[in-house]
Amino acid sequence: MEQYILTGSNLKKLAENLLILESNKGEASWNLISVSEDGLQYQKVMEADKINLNSKAAPTKISFKEYFLPKSETLFYFKQNQNDVELSDSKLTDKKTVIFGAKPCDAASVPALEKVFNWDYHDDFFNTRVANTFIIGLACEYSDEYCFCNSVGLSQNAEKGSDIFLTRQNDDSFLAKIVTQKGNDFVAAFKVFFSRMNEFPESAGCMKSPEKESLAQSRKFDYQSIKKRLDKNFADGFWNTAGELCLGCAQCAFVCPTCHCFDIVDENCGLNCGRRAKNWDSCQFSIFTKHTSGHNPRDNQNKRYRQRIMHKFKYYNDKFEEILCTGCGRCSRGCEAGIDIAGILEEIEQLPE
Amino acid sequence: MEDKNWEPKVTAFVCNWCTYTGADLAGTSRMKQQSNARLIRVPCTGRIDPLFIIKAFEGGADAVLISGCHPGDCHYNSGNFHARRRWIFFKELLDFVGIDSKRLYFSWVSASEGKKWVDIVNGVIDSAKSEGPFLKYKNLTKEIELNNE
Amino acid sequence: MNDLIELSKEMLTSGKVSVILGYTEDKITKRIKPVIIRKPEESEKLVFNHYAVNNLAVYLKNLKKLTKGKIGIVAKGCDIRAIIALIQENQIKREDVFIIGANCNSVVLNYDDKWTPESSQSKCRTCQLRLPNMYDALIGKLEDITFPPSDKLTFIQKLGTMTTEEKWDFWEEQFSKCIKCYACRQVCPLCYCEQCVAEKTMPAWIDSSATTRGNFAWNLIRAFHQSGRCIGCNECERACPMDIPLSLLNVKMGMIAGAKFNYQHGISTDAPTLVGNFNTDDKEDFIK
Repeated sequence: MEQYILTGSNLKKLAENLLILESNKGEASWNLISVSEDGLQYQKVMEADKINLNSKAAPTKISFKEYFLPKSETLFYFKQNQNDVELSDSKLTDKKTVIFGAKPCDAASVPALEKVFNWDYHDDFFNTRVANTFIIGLACEYSDEYCFCNSVGLSQNAEKGSDIFLTRQNDDSFLAKIVTQKGNDFVAAFKVFFSRMNEFPESAGCMKSPEKESLAQSRKFDYQSIKKRLDKNFADGFWNTAGELCLGCAQCAFVCPTCHCFDIVDENCGLNCGRRAKNWDSCQFSIFTKHTSGHNPRDNQNKRYRQRIMHKFKYYNDKFEEILCTGCGRCSRGCEAGIDIAGILEEIEQLPE
Repeated sequence: MEDKNWEPKVTAFVCNWCTYTGADLAGTSRMKQQSNARLIRVPCTGRIDPLFIIKAFEGGADAVLISGCHPGDCHYNSGNFHARRRWIFFKELLDFVGIDSKRLYFSWVSASEGKKWVDIVNGVIDSAKSEGPFLKYKNLTKEIELNNE
Repeated sequence: MNDLIELSKEMLTSGKVSVILGYTEDKITKRIKPVIIRKPEESEKLVFNHYAVNNLAVYLKNLKKLTKGKIGIVAKGCDIRAIIALIQENQIKREDVFIIGANCNSVVLNYDDKWTPESSQSKCRTCQLRLPNMYDALIGKLEDITFPPSDKLTFIQKLGTMTTEEKWDFWEEQFSKCIKCYACRQVCPLCYCEQCVAEKTMPAWIDSSATTRGNFAWNLIRAFHQSGRCIGCNECERACPMDIPLSLLNVKMGMIAGAKFNYQHGISTDAPTLVGNFNTDDKEDFIK
């Protein structure tokens, strides 16, 4: 697909344009999302200057999942009247969102999640948000011991999930490649900000420094061979200690771009009215599989940790031919018990086939 | 946007043996008191979990009053002593997060202190009137209603 | 680290302990993380240094259920307070643990920080337990270090001078970040309830949703349940993925326990717990 050049000043003008549109209560109304100044999370920006396209930064502490799967989402409202209960749908927003500077390990989570949210049921909440969001990915120039995107079929230049993919050319400009039809529509709508290229050098790519490249590859395993071992080793003694230090705090699931388990609860908004909500949940919580009878099939943390690995690297693959992991390493960076998922996977690769 | 007719809602958690009886005495003695307080009767102040106070604010209370037997007079001997220790901590905690003592009151009212009850309730309601509605807490519930953005 | 490794080998070989909870260095990420060792030869893995941040006492209660025999635990002064607190509250017995006390020269806050006196945690700067107050064996050596003042205590003072409205606004902003991951609860050695009040349904007192309303209820109740019990290890704040300054709440309640009752939890194994007991003379000037 086509390539353009997006200069820094045009990017700023584009953002200003979108922000002006936002303040109009007209038909187009935009949310601009970008990595926060402190690099910890993706946040709404209200000024064009705040767009953060630092490709050398580490992944944010928490992914951008909340813009597709909010941490608490209303499914519907209910109100108790004299004789009946009135239900009203929660309004699905038609506001458009642009995420500026998504890391490849974040962007790639969206196509993976689309599979489960369109499998036996088309989840309107998720699908509407995806349809209304334009992801402008940014080629990554960061790597540390926790990153392993190369081992799960991605890379620092992976375009999967992005609608437009930016690669930094120099301090002031980006190569902008259109990846999807949605990306094409976006550029067409704002083409005054994108400069055409007359020729596109085939070798243009992410500028990598040699030491970083070797570090990224030092964390290397073959996910196919891991899956083969997971197919056979459910009862292996390895699992008796793999998760013994896990505290069951669910941080890993909540910061993860692909974890999507949810809990449905009813809560009140007043004395006789309330809502049904869909909240983030995690298989690492001790009551995640507790039955109403009191029986809990995953009654210790080892079993729960095994479930996490099996779901991400085997079950999801069996069902949807996607790995439920983008190798961003957030879970390992944040884990209080020092559990390093890449290390666990490397150990699994050593198990008997 | 002050509604001239706004009346504060006060939730009062009262112990059955002393304060509730004292409030009853105030009623049978035809003492005049404002009617904004909704009483919730518990067996003893020791039954009161700080969660009750939080739930009262979530439910729209503008002020919360907790009242029980005087120390030494508890029907269950020591319930109010336990409660008192809890309140010392909980009050400081709420004060630290910005829910101050103008919205949270504690008192000891015995079964014979009908007049004291009336004075306390009127005092709490007047104070709530001058503080105004507890909009900050009510807005938290509003945020849930306008959840999808 | 030789004293620790030798001690561990001896304890495991002689069977005096059946497991040791300690710290080790991850071979690849180089992170100093918790480890459970069961064989004498694994002792070589053990380390203790400025990066041994975790409070290992959090593993004791569950490990006790799975282990026959004593549990050896490498613990800093703050961690030992947690162990003493667990004994005070009858969650473990003194004879269940073999405390390998560590002379502590302070620890960092973030894993990738480089240790300097300035990057040490706030709790370390005012620590009175660098030489632990209770142990079965002692390892390491105390160094003479000058620490800068604790910024946490300064901040608590500053909060104290704010108006009610400013305090509310500060905490509303902080609590709106909460994602209800319960990491604060899971890392806390003193949050050991088999069923947490947050998990109760019918009725559900605390909203499980990560809305500001539910977050207020959760964080306030956790702070309240820790009043007079928090031993100040700061793990809750360190574990929080959203960087909410949780320890401000817990340290403040600890200060109230000290000021009003002259009490500190986790110092003496036979001291009665604070909120579980009462005194007929408890001072109360706010009750009408």
